[in-house]
Amino acid sequence: MVREVSESCVDSLLTEMVACYCNRFYANKPELAARRIEAIGYQVGHQLSERYTMERPRFTDHLEAIKFICKDFWSELFKKQIDNLKTNHRGTFVLQDNKFRWLARMSVDPSIDNASSVEDNSAPTPENKAAQAMSMHLYFPCGIIRGALSNLGIPCAVSADISNLPACSFVVRIKA
Amino acid sequence: MIVCVAVVGHQNNPLYIQSFTEADDALKLHHIVHCSLDVVDERVNNPKKSGPMLNETFLGLLYPIENYKVYGYLTNTKVKFILVTTDLDVKDADVRNFFRRFHAAYVDAVSNPFHVPGKKITSRTFAERVSTIVKSFGFSSAG
Repeated sequence: MVREVSESCVDSLLTEMVACYCNRFYANKPELAARRIEAIGYQVGHQLSERYTMERPRFTDHLEAIKFICKDFWSELFKKQIDNLKTNHRGTFVLQDNKFRWLARMSVDPSIDNASSVEDNSAPTPENKAAQAMSMHLYFPCGIIRGALSNLGIPCAVSADISNLPACSFVVRIKA
Repeated sequence: MIVCVAVVGHQNNPLYIQSFTEADDALKLHHIVHCSLDVVDERVNNPKKSGPMLNETFLGLLYPIENYKVYGYLTNTKVKFILVTTDLDVKDADVRNFFRRFHAAYVDAVSNPFHVPGKKITSRTFAERVSTIVKSFGFSSAG
């Protein structure tokens, strides 16, 4: 049985979840809100990876698992594959999506130079605030990737970079 | 007839174990399942012996013991499924089919947001579904 869900519902749910954690539950503690959102993503990724790897042989190495994330897993979530995969062959992978669905409808002043990485939380200028609000929306997909890989036996850390919208890169660092 | 099925987590922690016999031999069956974990480890870590079925989730017959045959299945997420049966001439296709349906039931059970990963599966729905699958074993080779 195929069950479907409206895409706009998912979009609204995600936006609302982020807004709820950032402005209501942990209004003054963005790090805590980020951790909570990431944890939700982790659980989602953990469960999805169980489902989507059901009918396939076991992965032999890390690259195969990452390729699964880039192709099949991403197709299931976003109906498209990751556009570009880079690796340094020492446990770091960069997954680039040229038009990340969950950011496609967000607007940020494109002139901002450092509308930047998730870790950025310097002075609260309006531009910075916009970037920070945006970066809050990236903890959920980061958590999904981390959850999926952890369930496949690959402990890792995932961060996101949005320096050139609407492209979005996820940096996966595998823990040795 | 299937006498016992088990789900074992990636750290060899039992997630679900259920025997389907009238007799009071649960302990013996649990012991058989326990022993089979070593065989699974051996299969996975020495892939050269298994040949063409390299990395397939279905591990085939693990070992025969007394009147039982023990089959194994290892998912991508390192969760093991164990099946103990008394049938002597079992068709591989039947066992594969059983594990496929068992896996589907497991996935649905752990996708429950109230299930804590790594903890025992206590869902009644899962238990009922498993016993249905167990009862239909051997009759549904077409399905």
